[in-house]
Amino acid sequence: MTRIGAYVCHCGLNIAGVVDVEKVAEYAKGLPDVAIAKHYTYMCSEPGQRMIQNDIKAHELDRIVIATCSPRMHEETFRKAVAEAGLNPYLTEIVNLREHVSWSHTHEPAKATEKAKALVRMGVARARLLEPLERHKVSVEKSVLVVGGGIAGIQTSLDLANAGFKVYLVEKSPSIGGRMAQLDKTFPTLDCSACILTPKMVDVAKHPNITMLTNAEVTSVKGFVGNYDVSILKKPTYVDAKRCVGCELCTKACPVKAPDTFNQNLSEKRAISIYSTHAVPKVATINPNYCLRLKYNKGVCGKCQEACEAKAIDFEQQTETIQTKVGGIVLAVGSEVFNALEMAELGYGRFKNVISSIEFERISDASGPTGGKILSPKDGKPPKTIAFIQCVGSRDKRFHEYCCRVGCMVTLKQAILAREKTDESVRIYVCFVDLRAFGKGYDEFYRRARDMDVDFIAGLPSEIHSTPDGSLYFDVYDKGTNKLLEMHPDLVVLGTGLVPNNDLGNISTLFHALRSADGFLLEAHPKLRPLESAMGGVFLAGACQGPKDIPDTVAQASGAAAKAIDLLSSGEIELEPLKAAVDKDLCSGCRICESICPFVAIEMKPELINGVERLRAEVIEAMCQGCGLCSSACPTSAIKIQQYSDKQVRVQVQAALTEAKPRRAK
Amino acid sequence: MSLVDLMSMAKPNIESRDRILAKLRGRELVNCFQCIKCTSGCTALKLLELKPHEIIKLVNLGFVDELPSSDIIWTCVTCLKCVQRCPQKASPYHVIMALRNLAVEKEAKVPEGYLKAVSQILETGLAEAPQKVVTRKMETVDHECLKLPEINPPKESFQAVFMKIMEEK
Repeated sequence: MTRIGAYVCHCGLNIAGVVDVEKVAEYAKGLPDVAIAKHYTYMCSEPGQRMIQNDIKAHELDRIVIATCSPRMHEETFRKAVAEAGLNPYLTEIVNLREHVSWSHTHEPAKATEKAKALVRMGVARARLLEPLERHKVSVEKSVLVVGGGIAGIQTSLDLANAGFKVYLVEKSPSIGGRMAQLDKTFPTLDCSACILTPKMVDVAKHPNITMLTNAEVTSVKGFVGNYDVSILKKPTYVDAKRCVGCELCTKACPVKAPDTFNQNLSEKRAISIYSTHAVPKVATINPNYCLRLKYNKGVCGKCQEACEAKAIDFEQQTETIQTKVGGIVLAVGSEVFNALEMAELGYGRFKNVISSIEFERISDASGPTGGKILSPKDGKPPKTIAFIQCVGSRDKRFHEYCCRVGCMVTLKQAILAREKTDESVRIYVCFVDLRAFGKGYDEFYRRARDMDVDFIAGLPSEIHSTPDGSLYFDVYDKGTNKLLEMHPDLVVLGTGLVPNNDLGNISTLFHALRSADGFLLEAHPKLRPLESAMGGVFLAGACQGPKDIPDTVAQASGAAAKAIDLLSSGEIELEPLKAAVDKDLCSGCRICESICPFVAIEMKPELINGVERLRAEVIEAMCQGCGLCSSACPTSAIKIQQYSDKQVRVQVQAALTEAKPRRAK
Repeated sequence: MSLVDLMSMAKPNIESRDRILAKLRGRELVNCFQCIKCTSGCTALKLLELKPHEIIKLVNLGFVDELPSSDIIWTCVTCLKCVQRCPQKASPYHVIMALRNLAVEKEAKVPEGYLKAVSQILETGLAEAPQKVVTRKMETVDHECLKLPEINPPKESFQAVFMKIMEEK
């Protein structure tokens, strides 16, 4: 005899404000097999949980139905509570009365209450068929793959390595450091970016627990949480990294010019060169798209080979594939800067003196193309008027609707740097919409900019024009003075926002990490699980999850490392038992499930039946994520998801369609 | 009273505002965060002091009683720059058009040029009457001396449809 306990949660007024919870609880009492039904303000609170536990013992309940918020929120909480009372945790059924009822039918309380009753009826019908399930334990690899060598990847790697985990740090460019390495100074303290970043880069290179793989990409990821098999493709640099001493004799000898991507193409370097002045590893790499020998003919040039005293140049170097096993993965692939070419009205690309904020960063940096002097790119002269324009590509429904979160502070910093590096007669204007200085010490930084005679204009220009002599001008209406101003700047810096990486689509597919509407990677829960993706064992750090400044990125990176440690430190993990299972007698061996499974969790195994060899599907439990695709695709209903069998779903549908005859309330 | 403009003692008229919003089919076209891009680039601003951002804000706050009878809404040259550049896909242009329609409904003063254009279309079917033009050789020519085909007045059915559109609110 099944004895069900049904509980209706008020969730404060979240549910009770719309749904008549008392009526729903009363209704539940009349449903078949319901031994007890109650309602309470907060079921998830300690007294709420204790109420369930006491009732399980006192009333000998063997199934629990809780009508509350989304199972994504508290299913785990209630399972734990039920388990503590000695019942199998999988005999709990959550009915969602918040997201599915009260929040979506706020203005129709009567109908909402009817819907709530129907959902509870369905939950009770299903609960009667729930089966107890056991969790399995699997051992895990105590190593982590970190993808991306920017400040997020560096911080995660160092934290993990210091905790004793083996780390594989994969970076696609020839040096780690990422976006932060390109910056001149950092807000709000004006620390030099290189000074605080370079020591960390060196620590990574020296750490015995970190294997740093630059010029590399992850090509395949197989397996499951705790046991991922990854292959990493290391592209040739045509320089033996062990022999190269970074003397740059080759660079001096090389006759071919190539664009300098580290300097945002504001200057040129040679076809063989070191990525940046403070690159780690500090070794030369050859750009095969420009090197004469690699591009055209094996006989030509070779000047670098002649110049290299360490005999490090190796034109025969091949692609290398590295296979390894890791327990967890941290994605720290960062973001890109909005391409202002998309916003044609501001003239970026047409006018040389209209630059993006990251280009200003390189111009202002001592290791940049102008040696740290603020000069207009067009004529190389110091500008007399500098204009900053905010929110380029962000807070703009035509491009990206979100706020880029760093633009305001970047502009304040750059305005201050421009003021420090140019003489007093230079006028500096910032055209803004809303100035957001929300972090610790940020608003003080805003005041500092005003103290330093930076002028703020509340309004954005509609377009930038050029006069026949090539100088720039634009009109901007200032909210503060109600005046239409015509500005003639010598340098315009566009506050370009952060946007998702171009290859984030591939990364998302490769690691089964979903993306949110803004294009960034999606966290498992926006508030409570911000460091994890929905895929078990795949964590998120830094700007790949959403635009972030350096302090936030470092905080999230350390958090992701802690999460990975939390997952892997015990050496084994418990797997959720809600997996697919095959009824071998029904399986016809058609292989549909094998072809459809996105997690490669189904294997076809030959089996001898009456002397004939036939194929049978088998689920690799550890890899199955319980998505249910196979179950709905199976033509013979041989494969089912535990706790979601056809029967268990069907009774729910029946309960939805037929009004159950309630017994008279006791 | 929730809000008073102390300069003119005007109060918001939510009813009128909702009528404008109904014409705009919702709030989407007035969802403005005051970046002032529209006004910075407004073709009519330099000469005629049209400030699209101000009009949108006045509609949002409900100070709409003065707008239909003001001259300012008739100065928009409908270049649509504000529509193209608006980062929030709001549209001062559509708001101004809604206000113009409201002005006609309220029988407020409509500039002569617009009334002329209406009767022009009604009579000839053309938005612009045939004009005299000075050529490079400084000769003045017109429709007749160039022997261009005659322009027939529109059919009565066109006039009927046109009148019907004019009467619709």
